[in-house]
Amino acid sequence: MTKDEIYPKMSEAIVAGDRAAARALAEEAVRSGFDLPEVVEKGYVPGLQKVGELWESGEYFLPELITSAEAMKSAMAVLDPHFNRRDLAGQMGGKVVIGTVEGDIHDIGKNLVSSMLQAGGFEVFDLGADVKLERFIETAESVGARLICLSALLTTTMMNQRRFIGLLRDKGLRDKYKVLVGGAPASRKWAEEIGADGYAENAVAAVKLAKSLAGRS
Amino acid sequence: MNTSLFDLIRRRPVLLDGAMGTELMARGLGLGVPPELWNEDRPDVVREVHAAYFAAGSDVVSTNSFGGTPLKLAAHGLEARAYALNRAAARLAREAAPPGRYVAGSMGPTGKFLEPQGPATVAELTAAYAEQARALAEGGVDVLIVETQYDLREALAALEGARRVSPLPVFVTMTFSAFPRGYFTIMGDSPAAAAAALEKAGASAVGANCMLTSEQMAGCIRALKAATTLPVIAQANAGQPVARPDGTVGYTQSLEEFVRFVPDIVEGGARLIGGCCGTTPAYIRAMARAVNRKEEA
Repeated sequence: MTKDEIYPKMSEAIVAGDRAAARALAEEAVRSGFDLPEVVEKGYVPGLQKVGELWESGEYFLPELITSAEAMKSAMAVLDPHFNRRDLAGQMGGKVVIGTVEGDIHDIGKNLVSSMLQAGGFEVFDLGADVKLERFIETAESVGARLICLSALLTTTMMNQRRFIGLLRDKGLRDKYKVLVGGAPASRKWAEEIGADGYAENAVAAVKLAKSLAGRS
Repeated sequence: MNTSLFDLIRRRPVLLDGAMGTELMARGLGLGVPPELWNEDRPDVVREVHAAYFAAGSDVVSTNSFGGTPLKLAAHGLEARAYALNRAAARLAREAAPPGRYVAGSMGPTGKFLEPQGPATVAELTAAYAEQARALAEGGVDVLIVETQYDLREALAALEGARRVSPLPVFVTMTFSAFPRGYFTIMGDSPAAAAAALEKAGASAVGANCMLTSEQMAGCIRALKAATTLPVIAQANAGQPVARPDGTVGYTQSLEEFVRFVPDIVEGGARLIGGCCGTTPAYIRAMARAVNRKEEA
C-alpha cells in the first residue's frame, strides 16, 4: 500500500476500535520503511480525533472510547521500538503522573484518562487509586514528569485536590508542574478556585488539555 | 408485606430516602472509610440516619450497603466480611422501621468493567451480587434495590444474582447523563432500552438515580415511563456538587429548587421518588409536602 492508501485505513482502524487491523497496518508501515512519526501524525492521530468528535456529538460512549484507545495503544506498541530518540521527543507528549487521590478508591474515570493519554502519545505513570498526595510529587520528581493529573469521585475527597496544590506550594514546587483535576464533583470553577492549571470534563477533553499545556497543539 | 408495598405504589407516590454516605460523614465517618463498616462499628449512628428519614416521611429507606458487594469491599480488604456487613445493614434499617414502612436492600455497582472493556465476567458479577443479596435478604429487607448502574449488562447480572438467591422483588435504578442526543448511561444505554430489558428480565420496578438534577430527571423519567409498565423510580441529585468558600461541599440545587420539579417528576410517571447525592431528610420532608399538596389539590 502507498501512504495515501494506508493512512485512511489506519484512521478507520482506530475509529472502529479494531486492534488487529491497527497492529497489522503498523507492522506494514514498519516493513515499508515509511517515516514513522508521519505515520502516527497522518495515519493514526486523525482516527483518534474522529473518535473524540464522535464522543462529543454523543455518537460514541465509553465502550467505543475504550476500544479505540486500545487499538491506538496496540499500534503504538508496534511503532515505539522503531522510533529513534529524536523522533520520540517530537512525537511524545511528555511524562504524566496520574492517580486517584487518597481516600478515594474510584478508578474507572482515571483509568480511561490514563488510557487516552497513552493513546495520545504521553508516557503515563499511573499510580492507581487511593494515592497519598506525597507520592504524586515523589513520582513526578523521580521520573521527570511535568504534568500531574488528580482524579476524585467524591465531594469529600475532592478536597485533597485543593490540599495537593497547597502541598506543592509548601515544597516550593508549584511552578514546576502543571496540575490537572478531574472527576465527577470537579469543575472548571473548582479548578480555578483551588489554583489548579486546568480541568477536563471527560477523557477526550483531558487529552486535548494535556496537549495544550504540554505545548503540543 | 410486599403486597402492601405494591398496593401503596398503586395508591399514591411512595417516598424513598435521600443520601446516606454524606449523612454518616456529617456524623464523623472518616475519609476513605467504607460506610458499610459502621453497620458493625457504629450501628447506633446508622439506625439514627434511617430513623431521621422515616421521621421525615420516607415510606422506604435503603440499607447502608451501597458499596457492599464483595468485589467492592475487596478494594478495602473487607471481602471476607461482606456477608456480616450486609446482614447487619439490613437489620439496622429493619430495627429503625416503624410498622407499615419498608426496607430496601441497596446494592451499588462493583466498580469493575465487564469484558471486553475490562477484566470482569458476567459470572463473577452475578456471583458477587448473589452473595450480597443473600445477606440482605437474610437480614430482613422487604425488597432489593440495585442502584446507580451505568452498564445495563451489570444491572442484568445483579438482577440475575438477586433472583438466584431470593424470591424478593428487585428494583433497579440506572444512572443516566444528559448527552447531546438525549439521556444515556456512560456505556450508551438509553432509558427505553434499559427499562425494556430490565422488565423482561424480571425487575419489579425500574428507574433513574444520581447525576441528573430534579429538572433533568423529569425528562428522563418520561423516557423511561414510555418503555415500561413497571412502577418507575426517580432519585435525582440536588444538582452538581460545588465547593463552598469555607471548604465544605454544597450542591447547585437548593432545597426549594429541587422540590419545585418534584410534581413534574410525578406527573412524568414516577411512583417511587426520593433523592440521591446532596439530599437530606429535609429534602424528603419537603418532597412529602409537595406530593401531598398535589394530591389534595
